[in-house]
Amino acid sequence: MRSSGKHYPTAGTPPCGGRLHLHFMRSQGGRVQLRIRDQHPPLQVVRAFPLSGGGALVHVHNLSGGVLGGDQLALDVEVGEEAHVQLTSTGATRLYRSRPESPPAVQTNTIKVRRGALLEYLPDPIIPFSGSRYQQRTRIDLEVGAGLFWWETVAPGRAARGELFDYEHLLLDLSISAQGRPVAIERLKLEPHRSALSSPARLGCYSHFSSFYVLRVGLESVRWTNLEKELGALAQDLSHPGELSWGVSALIAHGLVIRAVSSQGRDIPPGLLAFWRVAKRYLYKEEPILPRKMY
Amino acid sequence: MHTDHLALLRLMQLSDSALPVGAAAHSFGLETLVAEGLLDVAHLELFLKDYLEEVGTVESIFCRLGHRLVCESDQALFTEQWLALNRRLSALKMARESRVASATLGRRLLQLLHNLEETLVVSLALQSAKAAAIETHYSAAFGLVGGIVGVDETMTTLAYLQQSLTGLVSVCQRLLPLGQSQASWLIWHIKPVLLTVAGRSEEVAAALDEMSMCAPLVELGSMRHPFMATRLFIS
Repeated sequence: MRSSGKHYPTAGTPPCGGRLHLHFMRSQGGRVQLRIRDQHPPLQVVRAFPLSGGGALVHVHNLSGGVLGGDQLALDVEVGEEAHVQLTSTGATRLYRSRPESPPAVQTNTIKVRRGALLEYLPDPIIPFSGSRYQQRTRIDLEVGAGLFWWETVAPGRAARGELFDYEHLLLDLSISAQGRPVAIERLKLEPHRSALSSPARLGCYSHFSSFYVLRVGLESVRWTNLEKELGALAQDLSHPGELSWGVSALIAHGLVIRAVSSQGRDIPPGLLAFWRVAKRYLYKEEPILPRKMY
Repeated sequence: MHTDHLALLRLMQLSDSALPVGAAAHSFGLETLVAEGLLDVAHLELFLKDYLEEVGTVESIFCRLGHRLVCESDQALFTEQWLALNRRLSALKMARESRVASATLGRRLLQLLHNLEETLVVSLALQSAKAAAIETHYSAAFGLVGGIVGVDETMTTLAYLQQSLTGLVSVCQRLLPLGQSQASWLIWHIKPVLLTVAGRSEEVAAALDEMSMCAPLVELGSMRHPFMATRLFIS
């Protein structure tokens, strides 16, 4: 099959409707238990690994090896009261080229973090391949006392082979609410062939970008002001304008956001770990536990 | 006709850069971009066009939504929608300095109009926001004010965009080697973009799920601004 000069597999594959519904509960003994309420390929979880202190670590697998054009994926996560959960990926999320006739791939994430619980969402970067179209819609609801560490990094494409900003469409739609009120809304739409990302109003000389949300509902605003200062100073230390730039800002309430742009993907993960370490100590008086994989 | 002319004159006053709300003290992150070598005169036209396309579209949507609230006759509904509108915009504005700047200008604009001509809508907008500890943002306040003085929604949005453009160019004149003639040339020639942005904002205001923005460097400039050693601007 040939279209627009690009080659596609001859075998047609119907759009995939993968689902994963995870429910974490803290038992009376203090351990966090995972209940898989729904699991439909290509999304899959194998098991939960115990974390010191009673939490649980789960790797979310995509058996397809990446997101195919037209996929409709849904991830629902509920973190029960006082539970501590880490979610991570097994590798970069590869967004494959979409067929011209297929709708964009869509991933919907619906996250609830109950009273006093903590969710740490620490995936590897998203890599949008040439010709890919992808929409990610994330809704996060936090109850009183709930905490969140949530990062996301986006590469320009397969940078090692010189593929930069050759995807068609990438939408990252994120909304975080605390006790029912919005505290962070992000609707980032990138269409490199329509609106030049190299514009100084967009990414300028940078190619990779990352966001890291840090929240704990109910903490007084002065604590966030102080943490913003501390992390802001770290951002200055880590930044080298023109190559790597970090910024930190308190949200309207209950948290802050850390942003990064970089001309090299490899510069971002060490920075994320540094911010995570400082924020985790400040908010929970604990050291972060690195997910078991490549770190 | 007399009413229309009076409304237009009032809108011209409210969108004038000399309006005493403090807009000239804010760069909304541009000062950082210039200091870090990410914005220069050579790329200014491109920057302004793209800034308006991204940030201007979102602000224009909220300007339109603010304007539409003037038609709400039920005070309780007005208050609910006014607070929800500003709360949503606060959540979208993640860079604290720019968010606070927008809120400061919005509050001052409403207070100025309240002092010039007391109206129930402005009193309600100010009092409800204060009681709920909600920030009132400039674009939404500008739309509301445009509706109060009796200018139609699109003209109000265009006036908002025009004063935004003038303000940005004024900031750049103080930060970059940008002469008055060049500044006037930019403001004159970018006007068609304002029309495009105003049109786009009308479409998206009818389908808010379509709203999007991609201006990471502008936001980062605002986030990094508090750490600059020397600053001309508050934001």
